[in-house]
Amino acid sequence: MSLTVTIDGTPVEVAEGTTILEAAKLVDAWVPTLCFDEREAPFGACRVCMVAVEGAPKPLPACTTPCRDEMVIDTHDATSRRVATAVVELVLSELPVAPEPHTELAQIADRLDVTASRWPGATHDVGHDFRHPYLAFQHELCISCGRCVRACDEVQGAFALTATGRGFESNIAAGLNAGFEDSSCVSCGACADTCPTDAITEITLLDGVVPDRPPRPRERGGRKRRSLASE
Amino acid sequence: MSAIEADRFDKTVTTTCGYCGVGCRLEAHARQGRIVSISPAEDGPANEGHTCLKGRFAHQFTRSRDRLTSPLIRENGELRVASWDEALQRIVSELTRIKDAHGPDAIAGLASSRATNEDCYAMQRLIRAAIGTNNIDNCSRVCHSPTSFAMRKSFGLSGATGSFSDIDHADVAVLIGVNPTQGHPVVGARIKQAALRGCKLVTIDPRRIELADYGVLHLAPRPGTNAAVVLGLSHVVQREGLTDEAFIAERTEGYEAFEELLDAYTPEAVQEISGIPAAELERAAHLYGEAGTASLLWGLGVTEHKYGSEVVQLLCSLAMMTGKVGKRGSALLPLRGQNNVQGSSDMGALPDTYTAYRRVDDEPTARLFEEAWGVGLSRRVGYKIPEMFDAAIAGELKAMYVFGEDIAQTDPDIAHVQRALESLEFMVCQEIFENETTKYADVVLPASAFLEKCGTFVNAERRFQLVEASIDPPGGARTDFEIIMTVSRMLGHEMGWETPWDALDEVARLTPHYAGVSRERVGRTGLQWPVRPDGSDSPTLYDQYFDRTGGRGAFAALPYKAPGDAPDREFPLVLVTGRVLQHYNAGTMTRRTGNADLVDRDWLEIHPDDAERLWISDGDTVSIRSRVGATELDARITDRIERGHVFTTFHFPETRTNLLIGQSSDVNTSCPEYKVVAVDVRPIAEQPAFTPQLTGVA
Repeated sequence: MSLTVTIDGTPVEVAEGTTILEAAKLVDAWVPTLCFDEREAPFGACRVCMVAVEGAPKPLPACTTPCRDEMVIDTHDATSRRVATAVVELVLSELPVAPEPHTELAQIADRLDVTASRWPGATHDVGHDFRHPYLAFQHELCISCGRCVRACDEVQGAFALTATGRGFESNIAAGLNAGFEDSSCVSCGACADTCPTDAITEITLLDGVVPDRPPRPRERGGRKRRSLASE
Repeated sequence: MSAIEADRFDKTVTTTCGYCGVGCRLEAHARQGRIVSISPAEDGPANEGHTCLKGRFAHQFTRSRDRLTSPLIRENGELRVASWDEALQRIVSELTRIKDAHGPDAIAGLASSRATNEDCYAMQRLIRAAIGTNNIDNCSRVCHSPTSFAMRKSFGLSGATGSFSDIDHADVAVLIGVNPTQGHPVVGARIKQAALRGCKLVTIDPRRIELADYGVLHLAPRPGTNAAVVLGLSHVVQREGLTDEAFIAERTEGYEAFEELLDAYTPEAVQEISGIPAAELERAAHLYGEAGTASLLWGLGVTEHKYGSEVVQLLCSLAMMTGKVGKRGSALLPLRGQNNVQGSSDMGALPDTYTAYRRVDDEPTARLFEEAWGVGLSRRVGYKIPEMFDAAIAGELKAMYVFGEDIAQTDPDIAHVQRALESLEFMVCQEIFENETTKYADVVLPASAFLEKCGTFVNAERRFQLVEASIDPPGGARTDFEIIMTVSRMLGHEMGWETPWDALDEVARLTPHYAGVSRERVGRTGLQWPVRPDGSDSPTLYDQYFDRTGGRGAFAALPYKAPGDAPDREFPLVLVTGRVLQHYNAGTMTRRTGNADLVDRDWLEIHPDDAERLWISDGDTVSIRSRVGATELDARITDRIERGHVFTTFHFPETRTNLLIGQSSDVNTSCPEYKVVAVDVRPIAEQPAFTPQLTGVA
């Protein structure tokens, strides 16, 4: 059965089960997202994709809300945008450094006109792990969106990554927080591919970006125990 | 590319992965002439925005310091740097001399399943038109040639009947002799996700592969007994009435003989042969037979046997008797090993066929190519790879042109291969690195890797996909296509192409099955052959009829026969060889990347009981000896393997795993029997694994 919804004044026909976010894509209406990745099941954690739906008392997350027939959706709604902007601002306030311009977080902040945070104060501790030949952790950039954990589970099926800590200390870890190589990681890199902040990224892309990165030892034979950079 | 991306990368090119047969579409990001990063293409039909550590990370080999960057020629027993002119002159004068003295059949060429369709097409044209012989083969000979042979016999076409997306629609998937999470990681991930969503997996493998943990049933047959297992499954399907009578009657032929053969393969009889408990075999047959949709997937664990091609025919028969072929979710998917092992054979780099498997002794086909190329062509079927080695030792084959294949590491019975290569008067290697084979070469030509060339690959779903260069070949290296065209021109046969796309157009013009293929039409998401002239392709084959004369599928009444090797008192264990996730075949590429930091050696996997009996501890160096050779490996004790079996990989040349493999091979296609080798394993550690206690020590 197909449903008709109106997004920003444009009617569009969608199949049952389509989310508001998917419908918005059909009419090229931009909805900001942080925790969403097409390859993963919708998660609805970040609250950046809020939109107004006629008759709803408050903004709804576009990624997890299924369309209903005759729904009228406004992606430009001022309240929703204020929520999204505040979320991005709060997320940025926790980071000790601004995310690199190519990251999804930086691009969304840019598009939402979030330049500085009104909430200075505590930021994440810097914690780098460059022991894996390809994959790097930059824990201070983690915003706990869960995309890497879900990529590991739903795209690769390695179940190597997990969320750790609580509240402000929330972060990600491979296995029992002993690094990628000592977990069930298969080095597919789906986590680095989906990460919106470069909290997990490719080592080669850090050349010239992280100046204190030690050269990686390249000896052969036996299990290597490489030093942690600055934990 | 956005402004921000332009800051990070000079260019981003969408291409197709050059590792395994899955055919992931990749975005290759380059800066200052080097690949800095590779990410998966979101619209890749085979990978859907995912890729594995080989496709994504193992690209540093392209700028490895050992890359061949100038031609080498042998002088006084040593290879020395030479100019292109000198190297090409040497090739032309030697090949001409040998052709004049001994005839064209004294020369043979190998095309590469790692290279593009256009490279392979050019290579077979060089050998057929410029040299004048059908002595051309490619490495599918040693992996899926039995699949190709059998699927042509049973169904008509040499390729998977469906697509990887059929896995998402299958109620049951039966994996036999294939370990996708290691060998085909992106398909492995797809199967795992399907299993997590409820697709029932049945895994049939002597080793307990990772996917067995996600399946409903794992059967561990003795290596070499697949035929009995498939016949046993068919027996139960037939006995329980799980057959699709209408499908058998309307779409197939030869069922009566097949049905008659099945009588003998009761689960109890199969248990006797394969070691699989009868009840488990029954359960597997019920799972497959009762499923609404079920797909069969297999790999080299089926093909690399003495009767590998017959087992594939039996698998086809099993699918036909249940009507599970040519439907969404019911596909037969052979997981092809290399990126273009499908394409290199499709392009006619085989001793008996032109493009699309049309025989060289078929008069109209030969005429078609004679007319197109303007030369007379041989009607005599050429040497297969193993026959080339035998002919070289017998003195009948004098020269070889080996392009992109390390035969002295990957082919069976290395000692025999070495003797063959030493017997040759002249050998050319066209390679990206020096390897075991170049040690015997008289001329080595520096060629290019998949990130440095343009063309197309055909993946395991029969899908033509574009390959576009993101970086240039290093130093004096040239693209394979250019090298082959130049050699051909100097031998007096002008191919008349400028770019690989011209070669692709010629293939399309001369091959009805690929008639609609062109660079533009292949585009971002590929085309699955047969491609009709209007450009429409074929994701699913045989939904209406089979591609044989008469349109019916053929049952094969082939009984189980014992494998070519069997354990005995002297060689009590059975060795099976395979790949690991981190490395790729001969390891030429992956050993030169960070993947070597993840896995830096071949291991011998052995069951704890065997290890204890042989006084082997985890990590000990052991000697492993077969009827034809011996080597040394470090042991890894694991209960993923059955008692009586050992397993190893063949990625590191220092191991020389293939010294152990004998010359037993598939009866129809000469594909070597890599998967059943009787061996003897003993500890050789300097410090014995078990040291007797000294008296007086607590």
